[in-house]
Amino acid sequence: MTIERPPGSSPEINRRNLMKLSGLGLAAVPGLAACGRGFGGGGDDESGDGVTLNMVWWGDATRAEKTQAALDIFMEANPGITIEVEYQDSGPYQDKLATRFAANDAPDLMAMRMDSLREYADRGALLDLSEYGDDIDLSGLSENAANLAEVEGSVFGVPAGLNAVGFVIRKDFAEQYGVAVPDGNTWSWDDLAAFAQAISDASGKEVYGTGFDVQTLQNLVVWVRQQGEDLFTEDGRLGVTAATMEAWFNLVGGMRQSGAYPPAGFFEEIGGSADQSYIAQGKLASQIIPTNNFLGYNEACGGNLALLRIPGETQAVRRGQSVDCPHLWSVAAASKHPKEAVKLLDFLTNDPEASLATGTTRGVPASSAVAEEIKDSLEPDDLVATEYLMGLQGEDLPRSYTYPPGGSAIADFLDVIAVEVEFGRQTAADGAAQFIADATAAIEG
Amino acid sequence: MTTTSTETAVMPGAVAPPAPQSQRRRRARKDRAGYLFLLPWFIGMLFTVVPFFASLYLAFTDYNLLNPPKWIGLENFADMFRDPVLLKSLQVTFVYTFVSVPLSLAAALGVAMILNRGIRGLPWYRAVFYLPSLLGASVAVVLLWRYVFGFDGIVNAFLGWFGIDAISWTSDPDYALTTLIILHIWTFGSPMVIFLAGLRQIPVMYYEAAAVDGASKWRRFRSITLPLLSPIIFFNLIQSLIASFQTFTQGFVMNNGGGGPANSTLFYNLYLYQQGFNQFNMGYASAMAWTLLVIIAVFTAITFFTAKYWVNYDS
Repeated sequence: MTIERPPGSSPEINRRNLMKLSGLGLAAVPGLAACGRGFGGGGDDESGDGVTLNMVWWGDATRAEKTQAALDIFMEANPGITIEVEYQDSGPYQDKLATRFAANDAPDLMAMRMDSLREYADRGALLDLSEYGDDIDLSGLSENAANLAEVEGSVFGVPAGLNAVGFVIRKDFAEQYGVAVPDGNTWSWDDLAAFAQAISDASGKEVYGTGFDVQTLQNLVVWVRQQGEDLFTEDGRLGVTAATMEAWFNLVGGMRQSGAYPPAGFFEEIGGSADQSYIAQGKLASQIIPTNNFLGYNEACGGNLALLRIPGETQAVRRGQSVDCPHLWSVAAASKHPKEAVKLLDFLTNDPEASLATGTTRGVPASSAVAEEIKDSLEPDDLVATEYLMGLQGEDLPRSYTYPPGGSAIADFLDVIAVEVEFGRQTAADGAAQFIADATAAIEG
Repeated sequence: MTTTSTETAVMPGAVAPPAPQSQRRRRARKDRAGYLFLLPWFIGMLFTVVPFFASLYLAFTDYNLLNPPKWIGLENFADMFRDPVLLKSLQVTFVYTFVSVPLSLAAALGVAMILNRGIRGLPWYRAVFYLPSLLGASVAVVLLWRYVFGFDGIVNAFLGWFGIDAISWTSDPDYALTTLIILHIWTFGSPMVIFLAGLRQIPVMYYEAAAVDGASKWRRFRSITLPLLSPIIFFNLIQSLIASFQTFTQGFVMNNGGGGPANSTLFYNLYLYQQGFNQFNMGYASAMAWTLLVIIAVFTAITFFTAKYWVNYDS
């Protein structure tokens, strides 16, 4: 017999148990769990001389699992340090991060978006890592990678991983419609247009030959660099000319007119995952993706994808592709434990054990030595993407510069203008001129 | 106020035995209990009042969330007049409000009148028509809406039967707002329930008398239903206006937080949010919030002012 406790007198209802309970609830609903746990709460284990670091990032449950595995290794090796992790979706993450800084409650180590870096760094919110040279070793990073978060000699972040944009083509459609897959290392924009036209024609527009975002800055950046210009210059100004913007709009406009590219209004933003993408649904034969998503896309397309470079790399004025990162790791200037936070960052960057645990969820490890070391453990699709990127990294690419403050508004302007041009409500020339005017004002304002 | 004072005046005489002191103590205890019950509200109020006044202060500052706010006087408000995107967002909000509010009220009244004819299973129908308004501003329904109005969606399939070309309901800047207006009209449930309650208050004898006099259906609607329902219409109108000016979710979900295509669904509140959290212009966003308050107050005041010409209060 057990003595039943009368309901209500249970001492077991306290915050900790409630949190556990809600945790159980989340675990029972994987979809919700993927939305992430909110910020705040938890972690009063600061017993003795222990240090508690707060680390925040965005992503899904899979990334959380892999990240935690790496952190467990770190905590085991550093018994004095406890890491309190919080993660959520990228949209709400941005808001939450900004408000936490506003409330003087900045996390110690955080995921930082490339286009937000200078919004924070220029306002003194981030730690200059170049002053912590003894605690973090950045010598293993290629110059391209090390420069990603460098602003006038200071370093405000370390790439959490590296990626680039790449062109994927569905080999099964190419075969079905009797069109040869172009050579990804040497193809030109004309080759793309010809390939896409052939697919659209042969399929009777059941499948469009190609379709990529005109308004995605990462795509535009490559095009602009190929023309010998920089979207953002070293001194943080707009470097692109109206002529180059107009050519970009016309490049897609021409293909849209001829049917190689889908008609205006075709793309609706329904879901962003690989499974829901137009290429996986069989409506497109090719598109641009970030290379770290190659595995996901190839799975969604039944393993039929070929990974090519962006067209025009060998014909253009100069190379357009660059090595980017899905996000940076930054440390808050106001962190109470900067040394420990930097130590954790060093572990994540330079210890192969960490990268073995996280895999390529945030792209290829920034340190080439580490990347080389984990290659054997990768799945074949990840290996394709990793080798693509390491190939790029070994090449002589023009340097890319950080987004200037106000740069995040530029994505909004481009989004509006691209649609106006798409629907013919504005000519390519007018759209280009307006983009230059709006973007210049946003950066200087 | 007066009732309390008479109570206190009468009670000591009426209940003589207890000494005044214990009387006071009991009352104090009662008061304490009252305040205790109010405590959650007071605590909740703190979370409203403090940000309320903080945002009033921030509206006059340049505040980027990371550095302390800098006092700049009325500059934020002056900037608003020079901001073409803000004017665009005002236009979107006004069009949305002035088209969808009358239409959704008309739909609500129409359905309420149909349901008021004493059909069987009324609670069931009422619930069915009310349901969309519970879901209307929710993310799930806006997502569903995108599928219904998607390029391969039900609506285009239906139009296809009549030989009408597929329309990009959600990605064409000429149609995206229309799609959201239709969504708003569909969520007429809560004004409908209120209309239904109002219609039941109208005595049947008026209609009977009018019918005896040979008044047509339209005439009865115009001369009996509308005037007697006018206070309810007035209430629903104010409610809908205020809610509509504050629309956010629909525009946010429609285009992944962007208010697109081409800012055609960039509601005022959505732009405010973008300014505050994406562009780090919290001072400007606060100024926008207070301006919206003024705009809503003005339109509410106008509605109140016109009320004396069309709202019938005597019974």
